[in-house]
Amino acid sequence: MNKMEFNQLEETLYQEQLPNGLTVYILPKRGFSKTYATFTTKYGSIDNHFVPLGEKQAIQVPDGIAHFLEHKMFEKEEGDIFQEFSKNGASANAFTSFTRTAYLFSATGRIQENVTTLLDFVQSPYFTEQTVEKEKGIIAQEITMYDDQPDWRLYFGMIENLYKNHPVKIDIAGTVESIQHITAEHLYTCYHTFYHPSNMTLFIVGNVEPESMMQFVKDNQAAKTFDAPAPIERIFPDEPKEAAVKERTLEMAVQKPKVFVGIKPERLDLHGPEMLKHELSAQLAYELLFGRTSNFYHEAYENGWIDESYSFDYSLESGFGYALIGTDTNHPEKFAQEVKKAIHQAVEKWPFGQEDLDRVRRKKIGFFMRALNSPEYIANQFTQYAFNGMNLFDVVPVLEQIEVADLQEAFALVSAESQQSVFTIKSPEKEQA
Amino acid sequence: MFETKKIAQGVHVHVHETTQFKTINFSIRFKDRLTVKNASERAILANVLQHSNEMYPSHTALRMVLDDLYGTSLYIDSTKRGDDHIVNLNVETVNDQYLSDKGVLEKVMNLMYIVLFKPNFENGLFKESIFKREQESIVQRIESVFDDKTRYAQQRMMELGLPGHPASITSNGSIDQVKQVTNESLVAAYHHMLENNEVEIYVVGDVSPELISSHIRDYFHFTDRKELPEKAESQLQPPEQSRVLEYEDMKQGKLHMMFFTPVTFRDEDFPVMQLMNGVFGGYAHSKLFANIREKESMAYYVSSSYASQFGLMFVLAGIDRKLEEKAVSLILGQLDEIKQGHITDTELEQTKALLTNQLKEALDSARGQIDIYDQYMELSEDFEPAYLIERWESVTKEQIAQAANNMSLQMTYFLSGKEEASDE
Repeated sequence: MNKMEFNQLEETLYQEQLPNGLTVYILPKRGFSKTYATFTTKYGSIDNHFVPLGEKQAIQVPDGIAHFLEHKMFEKEEGDIFQEFSKNGASANAFTSFTRTAYLFSATGRIQENVTTLLDFVQSPYFTEQTVEKEKGIIAQEITMYDDQPDWRLYFGMIENLYKNHPVKIDIAGTVESIQHITAEHLYTCYHTFYHPSNMTLFIVGNVEPESMMQFVKDNQAAKTFDAPAPIERIFPDEPKEAAVKERTLEMAVQKPKVFVGIKPERLDLHGPEMLKHELSAQLAYELLFGRTSNFYHEAYENGWIDESYSFDYSLESGFGYALIGTDTNHPEKFAQEVKKAIHQAVEKWPFGQEDLDRVRRKKIGFFMRALNSPEYIANQFTQYAFNGMNLFDVVPVLEQIEVADLQEAFALVSAESQQSVFTIKSPEKEQA
Repeated sequence: MFETKKIAQGVHVHVHETTQFKTINFSIRFKDRLTVKNASERAILANVLQHSNEMYPSHTALRMVLDDLYGTSLYIDSTKRGDDHIVNLNVETVNDQYLSDKGVLEKVMNLMYIVLFKPNFENGLFKESIFKREQESIVQRIESVFDDKTRYAQQRMMELGLPGHPASITSNGSIDQVKQVTNESLVAAYHHMLENNEVEIYVVGDVSPELISSHIRDYFHFTDRKELPEKAESQLQPPEQSRVLEYEDMKQGKLHMMFFTPVTFRDEDFPVMQLMNGVFGGYAHSKLFANIREKESMAYYVSSSYASQFGLMFVLAGIDRKLEEKAVSLILGQLDEIKQGHITDTELEQTKALLTNQLKEALDSARGQIDIYDQYMELSEDFEPAYLIERWESVTKEQIAQAANNMSLQMTYFLSGKEEASDE
């Protein structure tokens, strides 16, 4: 078992890779009564084109299948796994993102029983045509619910604008139509390909004793047999550098128009420390340009182009990423124009110096320290970073090393005119009475 | 858990000294009566005070100083609980022992003082442009509820079912009342809040209770105030319409049901109702989830919630718009099961285990500690989690069945798309 100490943060992380390939992390949290555990596979909605385990031919699976599989993991021949967790006083859940499927629980007691339930239910698939059919009604309601949420439509509309071929543009849950094609056989194929322990990470944080918990997990895994680990072959289409669609509007009943300006990053092949430095640098640059202390924010607020819904974000994964700046506004064209102008001006003449950097750096360090109070943040963020070869606990040291030139360099990769796009949601024009 | 000191009549400081967190959390809560007028004024007030002040007269200046203080988070929100409206200054700052930079805490406390007591005045009024802008922000915030159809449906049911009752008054007031607020009336509301509201100040972190209390007493100018008068609990009147159908341009059907129960937060049977809610629809093992979702495949979400301040229970479900009748009958069928005492030992044990877990987990965040203590100190001044856990443990199936029998369905509200609009 490896022990990593982060002295300034007063945290110690324990790590071990088990013989079957599973990576286990344990982070004890002093003073906490709860324990939070996530069991995550590096498999999300974008992994829809791959060579199934033990085969030669690549296959394309129906949209929404990773999410469908997540739902179906909870049903077993003997009943519903939620019931099992509840018996042991645990709240359980799961989520599917573009790149991950995570199963999780939090509990303040009977941690070993709950860890056993978590490991065992995710490692014992049970799908039948009947249970698969039954789930379609539930997921159709979930999709319909999201269809009615303008903020979700705005987010996905923008990703569709930015990406021409990459499967990130497909809605994570699929469509009511696409899920009709999913069969039990599909689920087994995806399961066997992506749920091998070597493609998974277990993260346990909270009121745990690391040595005994690690041994407990090892014993659980040693009692099960798995195939030898094999590399997974995923196939992704070529993706042009430019935004796929420059501008698009969706009509939907909303109180006020909603708009996003999105920017597609130029480098989508970053990994590990290089990726961490780029992502943090670009986030700092965007904070300076669009944050609450920026000239842009001040002017947009004074002129009423933005309201309380205003937000901006930059996030990057392997193969895709996006910067998003958006708001509800009665002036969507003006807002988009001003965002583009601010980006253009920063490209033409870089406006930020050392003092600016020091300020936003402090802000980001403070945010990170606050986030470390949350076991949920630690487990989820750590896993996402780890899947991209980054270490969450490197955030502060890397932030401390970043220089003004790094911000400028990172920003240059997320700012070109051809990579920008605008997506707007507006109510249909009212008919004349 | 918290050590309480009275620093003026009606003003208390509650400190929990702990090394559990890397940050120090503050919450200063101003409590007043919940009326539409009060809520409307105070929602604007919260925004105006967090915008800027005498020392940092622009939003940018205030946000820059917060960034410099290691991204100290500072915001003022307006919320409600029962018959109270609460303006709440929330501050979270990094404990400076994790930093090479010392003296952060004192600067943060000084900033909190400025935010509350040194507003951005111009000739005795709030700066007009800021007042106007924030008034408009609140109007837009109220309007934006429409875009979240679950919240919108719940709000419509409350407006129609319990008009004028505190349960239906939102913490932002109403568009009409917000528009009627003037700069003069806002200044009056501000002085009233500072001088007459009951104030509860919470601090959680690695700090000395003596030091914090004396600092607040010496530097913040809180004067003696009259305690809020003892108030009668608002009475629930049955809604005029028991079933309402409304249409918007949307795909899903939003089913909202409202029940009355005679048991409120202050009753002996409060823990029984909490268990009743858990068995019925509060969790993923509950009857509603297990039957309406898992067995019938009719919904993605279906759950119940207990508004204990008022003695209300709600059931919410997202369903196909053609299935309203069937859903209502299945939901009432599950309630009947409980009324007849058809509760398994497992259901009872699961619910007790999850209520206990939920409470203990909430206490793992500083915000959770403050919220729970602020709510429960009304029941017991030296509140500890064991107080509730012991009560849940002793609840029986018979008591739960009895509680279910005392519930009455008062209203069903259904929001959905029109026939032709939703068939795409």
